Amino acid sequence: MSKIRKHEKPEEFTLTRRKLISRFGALGGILLTGCDTQFYKPPINRGGLIGIADTLTMASQRMLMSNQQLVQEHDVSEITENFPVWNQSDPDDEEFQRLKAGNYVDWRLPITGLVNNPISLSLEDLKRMPNRTQTTMHICEQGWSAIAQWTGAPLLSVLQAAGGIKPEAKYIMIDAYGGWYEGYDMFDVVHPQTILAYGMNGKDLPLGNGAPVRLRVERHCGYKQLKFIKSIQVVSSVEGFGRGTGGLNSDFGFHWYAGA
Amino acid sequence: MLEANKNWIHRHTTNARICHWIMVISFFYLLYSGIMIFLHFPELYWGKVGFQDYPAIFKLEDWGISWERAEELGDRRWGRNYHYTFAWVFVLNGLIYLIWNGWQKKFYSKMLPTRQELSIPHLKSEVKRHAKFRAAKGSAAAKYNVLQKLTYLIVLFVLFPFMIISGFAQMPAFTAISPELIDLFGGRQTARTLHVVCSLLLVLFVVVHLVQMVVAGALNQLRGMIIGKYKITQESNEVAQ
Repeated sequence: MSKIRKHEKPEEFTLTRRKLISRFGALGGILLTGCDTQFYKPPINRGGLIGIADTLTMASQRMLMSNQQLVQEHDVSEITENFPVWNQSDPDDEEFQRLKAGNYVDWRLPITGLVNNPISLSLEDLKRMPNRTQTTMHICEQGWSAIAQWTGAPLLSVLQAAGGIKPEAKYIMIDAYGGWYEGYDMFDVVHPQTILAYGMNGKDLPLGNGAPVRLRVERHCGYKQLKFIKSIQVVSSVEGFGRGTGGLNSDFGFHWYAGA
Repeated sequence: MLEANKNWIHRHTTNARICHWIMVISFFYLLYSGIMIFLHFPELYWGKVGFQDYPAIFKLEDWGISWERAEELGDRRWGRNYHYTFAWVFVLNGLIYLIWNGWQKKFYSKMLPTRQELSIPHLKSEVKRHAKFRAAKGSAAAKYNVLQKLTYLIVLFVLFPFMIISGFAQMPAFTAISPELIDLFGGRQTARTLHVVCSLLLVLFVVVHLVQMVVAGALNQLRGMIIGKYKITQESNEVAQ
C-alpha cells in the first residue's frame, strides 16, 4: 500500500526571490516579480462591477503574496479524520474505470503544448521525481475546511521535466476525467506547494479524493484543487477550452481566481 | 404661528449622506449574498476544521430547515460574486468616508461623547429617555445623543473592522498572506462563525436604528439624510402643545 517514498532528498524550498527567478527562468526566461501585473487579472474579465471587484481582489491578494510565501503547514496530529469527499467521487468515464481496474499502471500524464519537450509520465515516473509532503488546510468555497497531508511532485518540476515552457506560455490547462478542467497562471505554477499529489496522509491518494493524481494549489479554494487528473497542456491563451473563461468553474460563473 | 417655533438646520454633510446611502445599498447586498452563501452550507463550527458530519455548534436543521431545503434556497455562486463585489464597495466607501471626514475637526465633536455626556447621571437619564421612546427636543435634537454616539463608534470602529478581518481569515490566500490572522481567531471555522455572529449584531443595529428613526420622526430623519435639511422643534412649543 504505502508505496510513497520517504523524502529521499527533500528538495529544499526556501524561497528567495533570486532562486525563484532562476527557477522560473529555466522555464522560459519570463521574469516573475512582485509587481508583474499580468498576474493581477484573470484571463477573461467578467465586466461590470463584478469584473472590477474580481481584479481588485486578485491584484491585492497577488501583491500581498508576491514573495511566494508558503501557506501555513499544520502538525500531522491535526490531520482530519474522514476528510470529506466532495463533487466527483468516481468519474463515470470508461477510460478512467479501465485505468482504475488496472490499479493505474496504464495511467499516463501527457504534458503538451508550449513546452520544449512534450512528455508523458506514468505514475511511477511521477513518484520518482523530487517530492514534497505538506500538511495543509483545504478550504471549500462552500464553507467547510479540513486538514490533510499531501505528497506529490511539484508542478514546476514536472514542467521542467518536459523541458520547460516556451516564452509565450501563459497558462496551464489541466484536464480531468469526468469532464472537469481548470486553468492556472504561472504565479501558481511556480509556487513550491503547488504539487501533483499522488499521496494523502501517508497512503496512496484514495479514489474519492481524486486518485491517482490530483492538484494541490494551496492558495485557492477547493474548486481549483482538480481531482482525477488526465492531462496537462501549456497554452498562451485559454481560448478554445470550454466556454473560454479559463476553467469549468468560471464557465459556471464562479470567479476564476479562487484565493478569496 | 407653529412655523415660527421651528428651525431648520443642516443635519448631515453631503459626504456623510452620500456615503450613508452607498453603505445602505452595499450592506443590503452583503447581507443578502451572505445569507445565500450560508444556506449552501447551513452549519457553523468552532476551531480549524468543520464539514458535514463534523460536530457543529449550529445547525439550521435544528430550526426546521433541512440541508436540502437550505441548498435549494441558497445560491452560492450568485452569493460569492456579489459578496465580494459589495465588500469592495463597502470598504472603499468606508475609507472615503473616513478620509473625507477624518481631517475635519467638527467630525470629532460630532462623533465623540463629551466627558459630561459620559457621566453616570447623564447616561442614566438618556437610557431612561430611550426606554420611554421619547425623542430629543430642541438643541439636543440637533446633535447626536450619547447612546447614539457610542453605538455609531462601536459599529464603525469595532463591528465593521471585525467583519472585514474575520472575512480575511476565511480566505485561502490568507493561509499564505497571514496565517497568524487565522490563528488569532483560533481557526478558520471560528472566524466563519464569528463573521456570522457579528453580522447578526449589525442586523440588530439596523433594526434599532430604524426604530429610533421612527421614534424621532421618520420623515424628518429621512429628509435629513437625503437632502440634509432637518427640522428642529423648539422646547417651548412642546409645552404649548
